[in-house]
Amino acid sequence: MIETSSPPVAPVFAVKKRRLRFLGLTVDDTIRAFFGGNALVAVIVLALITVFLFREGFGFFAQNRTNLEVYRRAGLEYVDFIRRQTDDHTALTRYLSDVRLRQLKLLTEQEKKSLDEANAALAPFDAFAEQFSATVDPLRALMAELTEQATALKTKFAVTEDRKVERHQLLAEGKTAEATAVKIDAVDFATELLPLRAALPAYKETSREFSRKLVTLLDATPVLPAAELLPRMERLKQLTRDYLAGFPAIEQAMEAWDYKEPVPAWQTFTSFLFGRQWLTASFWQDWYGILPLLIGSLLVSLVALAFAVPLGVGAAIYVNQIASVREQKLIKPCIEFISAFPSVVLGFFGIAVLGQALRAASQISWLSWVPGFPYSERLNILTAGCLLAVIAVPTIFTLAEDALNNVPRAFKEASYALGASRLQTILRIIVPASLSGIISAVLLGLGRVVGETMVVLLCAGNRIAIPDFTQGLSVVTEPVHTMTGIIAQEMGEVVRGSIHYRALFVVGLVLFVLSLLINFLAQKIVRRYRISIG
Amino acid sequence: MSTVSHIFRTPPGGVRRGERMVFWLFRGATYFVLLCGATVFLNIVIKGSHTVFKAEAPFINTTFLTQAPESLYIFEWEGKKREMGDREFRAFKEQNPAAAKVETESYVYSAGGIWPCIVGTVLLVVGSMTIALALGVSAAIYLNEYARDGAFIRFVRLAILNLAGVPSIVFGLFGFGMFVIYFGWNVSLLAGWFTLAFMVLPVVITASEESLKSVPKGFREGSLALGATKWQTIRKNVLPYALPGILTSSILGIARVAGETAPIMFTAAYVVRDKLPWDVEKFGDFFFQGVMALPYHIYVVSSKIPQNDYTERVQYGTAFVFLLLVALIATASIVLRSRLRNRYKW
Amino acid sequence: MVIATPEIMETRRAAPASASPPSAGKDTIVDIDHVDFFYGATQALNDITLAIEAKKVTAFIGPSGCGKSTLLRCLNRMNDLIEGTRVARGTIKIHGVDIYEPDVDVIELRKRVGMVFQKSNPFPKSIYENITYGLRLQGRSDKAKLDEVVEKSLRGAALWDEVKDRLHASGLGLSGGQQQRLCIARAIAVEPQIILMDEPCSALDPVATAKVEELIQELRSRFTIIIVTHNMQQAARCSDRTAFFYLGRLIEYADTRNIFTNPANPQTEAYVSGRFG
Repeated sequence: MIETSSPPVAPVFAVKKRRLRFLGLTVDDTIRAFFGGNALVAVIVLALITVFLFREGFGFFAQNRTNLEVYRRAGLEYVDFIRRQTDDHTALTRYLSDVRLRQLKLLTEQEKKSLDEANAALAPFDAFAEQFSATVDPLRALMAELTEQATALKTKFAVTEDRKVERHQLLAEGKTAEATAVKIDAVDFATELLPLRAALPAYKETSREFSRKLVTLLDATPVLPAAELLPRMERLKQLTRDYLAGFPAIEQAMEAWDYKEPVPAWQTFTSFLFGRQWLTASFWQDWYGILPLLIGSLLVSLVALAFAVPLGVGAAIYVNQIASVREQKLIKPCIEFISAFPSVVLGFFGIAVLGQALRAASQISWLSWVPGFPYSERLNILTAGCLLAVIAVPTIFTLAEDALNNVPRAFKEASYALGASRLQTILRIIVPASLSGIISAVLLGLGRVVGETMVVLLCAGNRIAIPDFTQGLSVVTEPVHTMTGIIAQEMGEVVRGSIHYRALFVVGLVLFVLSLLINFLAQKIVRRYRISIG
Repeated sequence: MSTVSHIFRTPPGGVRRGERMVFWLFRGATYFVLLCGATVFLNIVIKGSHTVFKAEAPFINTTFLTQAPESLYIFEWEGKKREMGDREFRAFKEQNPAAAKVETESYVYSAGGIWPCIVGTVLLVVGSMTIALALGVSAAIYLNEYARDGAFIRFVRLAILNLAGVPSIVFGLFGFGMFVIYFGWNVSLLAGWFTLAFMVLPVVITASEESLKSVPKGFREGSLALGATKWQTIRKNVLPYALPGILTSSILGIARVAGETAPIMFTAAYVVRDKLPWDVEKFGDFFFQGVMALPYHIYVVSSKIPQNDYTERVQYGTAFVFLLLVALIATASIVLRSRLRNRYKW
Repeated sequence: MVIATPEIMETRRAAPASASPPSAGKDTIVDIDHVDFFYGATQALNDITLAIEAKKVTAFIGPSGCGKSTLLRCLNRMNDLIEGTRVARGTIKIHGVDIYEPDVDVIELRKRVGMVFQKSNPFPKSIYENITYGLRLQGRSDKAKLDEVVEKSLRGAALWDEVKDRLHASGLGLSGGQQQRLCIARAIAVEPQIILMDEPCSALDPVATAKVEELIQELRSRFTIIIVTHNMQQAARCSDRTAFFYLGRLIEYADTRNIFTNPANPQTEAYVSGRFG
C-alpha cells in the first residue's frame, strides 16, 4: 500500500525522527525546563524571605530569654518593684498638675482674673501639690541607691560573659596561652545580691513613712478656688487611697522574690508579643515588646482606611456606574498617576506641608468639636493616616472598580427592567454583587498601608509608646511608632547579631506573616465570590 | 393638578433629588481624591521649580543638576548676609583670612546639587529592571505557554500573588540578610538590584502574562500546524507581538522600583558618597559599591536636617526632580498602553 | 448505535497492510481504527473506524458537537495542545505509521499534515513572510527558492494575481476570503501530504466561499484533503466521500453522492434533508 499511495516527493511518511538529546532531554524540553525554573523563582524568593527572616531573627528568642534571666538574677526585677511604686506616684502628681492647669484656665477664662491673681488664688493648692510630690523623695533616694547596685552587678555579669566569649574565640584560634590569661571572675549572684536584699527593712521603713505622710496629706486637702473641679479632687483622693492599698502587696512581692526562680521559655515569646515596652539602648533594662509598634501600625492603617475606603469605593462606584465615558477616560489615568507617587515624596509633603496645615486647622476655634482638636504635635497618627490614604485610594479604587466591572450586565438590565432607578440598581444589585470583590480590595489596601514605610517613618511622630486610649477618638492626634518605621530607623544603627538586631528581624517576620494573612483573606473572599456568581 | 397628566411623568416628591444628591456625593469623593493628588503634585512642582529653574538663561539650575551635595554656610560678611557652599566657602576663607573666625550657620547637603543621586537612581532602575524582566518574562512564558493546570502551577501562582503583597521593608530586610550579609556583597549596587528585582517580579510576571494572553490562539495553532516546535512558535510568533505590551506594562514596574526607598535603605544606598559610580579602580568594583539614590536622599534631607528657608530649596528641589522622573515614567506607561490598545486589534 | 452500512463493514476489515477496501477502489492514506477519544471525563469520540483515501476530498459533516472537528484535530495531533485530552483506545495510522506511537515526532507529523483553521489566522507579518514561515522553520533561507515557493503556493491558492504587487504588505490587510486563501497557501508551501480544513468557509461570505471551494477542487489532484463543514451543500459540492457523525459516533461513511441521494441510515437522511442539526 505504501508504494501505491506515497506521493512522489516523499517516498516514506517519515514522521519518526530522533531529535538531539542531552541528558535525555530534547532542545525543546530544555527550554521548557529553563522557563519552568524561572517560574519557580517566585516560590524560591518567598521561601528565601522566610528562611532569612528566620535565620537572622530566630536567635532573638534565646537571647531575649538570657536578657530576662539577667534581669532577674542581677536584681533589676527586685528594684523595679520600687520603681513601679515611685512611677505610680509620679502619675498621681501629674494628675494633680493637670487639675491645676484646668483651674488656672477656669480662673483666667471664665472669671477673667489676671494671671497673677489666679496664681495667688492657687497658692494653697500649690503648697499641697508640692508636699504631695515631695513625699516620695526618700523612697526615690533609696531606689537610686539600689539601682546603682543592681546595674553594677549587671555590668559585672556582662563583662564576664564578654570574657568567656573572648576566651572561647582564643581557644578556637588555638591560642591556649592567651586564653588562660583571660581572667574570668565568676559572678556569684547569691552573695552579690545580699546587700540588695538587706535593704528590705530599710525599704519597709521608708515605704511606711511615705504612706503615713500621704494619709495625713489626704486629710488636709486644700479648698479649690473653682468648685467645678471638686469631683476631680475626689477622684485624686480615691486614686491615692487605691495606690496606698497596693503597698502591702508590693512588700509581699519583694519578700517572696527569688533571684533563682527560672525564666520559663514561653516568657520570651510572651514578653515579645505582649510586651508593652520597646526600649532599647537603655542604661537599665532593654525591653522588646512589639505591642506599641503593632498598635501604632494598626492605628495609622485604620485612620488611613477610614479616609480611603469611602473615597476609594465611592470613586470606583462613580467612575464605573455614574460617570460619562469621557469622565472615565480622564479620571482613571489620573488616579493611576496618583498611585505612582513615591511614598517618600508623600512623606516629605507631610513633613513640609500637611503636618503644619493640619495642626493649624486643629487650632481653628470652630473646629474644636472634632475629637482631639486642638493638638500640638505636628507629626502624629492623623498626619500619617491622611497620607497613607493617598496611597491606599488608588489600590482600593482600581480593585473595587474591577470588581464592579465584573458584575454581569444582565443583573443591571434585569434590575432596570423591573423599574428600579439607577441609584437603586447600584445600591441593591451592583454593590452587593461585587461586595466580596470590594472587601478584598479594601483588604489589599490595608496590606499596602500596613507595609508602607517611608510615610510613617517621616510623619507618624516616632514616639514608642502605646497611645492613650482613654480619651476616645482623640487618640489619633498622638504620635506613635510603627513596625515598618522601627525597622527602617534602627536597622542601620544596630550591631549585627546583637539581640536588638535580631529583634528587628522578628518584627520583620511579624510584618511578613501579617501581610501573608491579609493576602490570604483577600484571596479567600474573592474565591468565594467567584463561586457565588457562577 | 399637574399639567402633565400621563402616567409616565416623573413621580412627585424628592426621590429624584435624593438620587441626584447621592450621585453628587460620589462625584465629590472622586474629585476630592483628584484634588488631593493635584495638591501634592502642584505644591512640590511649584516650590521645587524655584530650585530647578532660573529666571535668566539657561533657565535651568545646572549646578543643582550636575553637582554633588555639599554643606551650606551662612554668615554675615561686611554687613551683608552671604550663603556659600562648602568649597566656595573654603576658597573664600583663603582669600579673606579674617573670614575664618566669622560665625557661621551651617546645614549639611543644603548646597550643591543632586547629580550623584540621579546617577544612582538610574543605575538602580536599569539593573533591577533588567534582572526582573529576564526572570519575569521567562516565568510568564512558562505559565502562559507551557504550563498545564495542576497543583504545581497553582502553587506558583499563589506564591506570585503573595509575593506581591509582601511589604517593601521586608524585602529590604531580606536583601540585607541574604545579599549584604550572607553573600557578603555589603551595601552594593548588586544587592540593591536583586532586592528591587525580586520586589517588582510579581508586577512584571503579571504584566507579561497579560500581554502573552492577548496574542490570539490562532497564531500559535497556525504556527504549530506548519510544523514549528513550541519554542519556534513562541520565539517567532508570540513573543514579538507580546513584547511591546510587556515593555509598556513593565514601565509601571519601573516607576515602582524608582520610587521605593525602604528596600534600598540597607542594601544599596549611601547617605553621601563623594565618588561617582564609574570612578572605580577595577571593573568588578563597579557592582560592589553603594550609590546615592534620589528617594533615599529625600528621606535624608527631610528627616535629618531642620526645615527652614535655606534647606527648603534642596528638599523641594530633590522632591521635584524625583517626582518629575517618576511621573514621566508613569505617564509614558499610561499613554503607551492606551496607544497600544488601539493599535493591535486582531 | 453504529449502523453497520456495507461501507463501514468494509473499512473495518481494512487492515493497514492489506489491500484497500474494494468499494473505495483507491489507496487508503489515513486509517482510523476503533478510536475512542476523551476530553477529561467526557467522551468525544466513540469507536470511530474510518479509512480515508489519498488524493480525494473527504468531508466530515454532522451537527455541532458531534466530534467531527475533534477527529480532524486528532489527525495532526493538535489536540495535544488541549489539556486533559487523550486517545483512549484504537489507532490512527497514516501511511501505516501509528501517529500516536511514542517515537513519532509531532513536529515532523505536522509538517506532513497541514491544517487550515475555521478562523483565518494569518500572522501579522507580510504575505511573503507568512508563506515562507514554514520553510524558514526548516532552515531554508535560499532567497531564490523561497521566491519560487511563494509564487507557486500563491498560484496554487489562486491568490497570486491578487497580491503579487504587494507581497511585502501585511497579511492582515487582506479581505477575509483572501486571508483564508493565504492560510491555505501557507499550508501548501511546506508540501504536506494531507491538508486538514476545519470549517474553512464558515466565516466567509458566499463569493469568498465559492473561491475557496474552487481552490479545493484544484488542490485535490495534489493533496489529500479532509474538510470539516457544517454546510451540507458545501460537502455535496466539493467532496468525493462524506462521513456523517452524530453524538461522537460515525453514523455513515460513503461516496458523497450516495450520502445525499440515497443515505443508508435514517438519521443521515434526517440530517441531510434538514430535519435536524
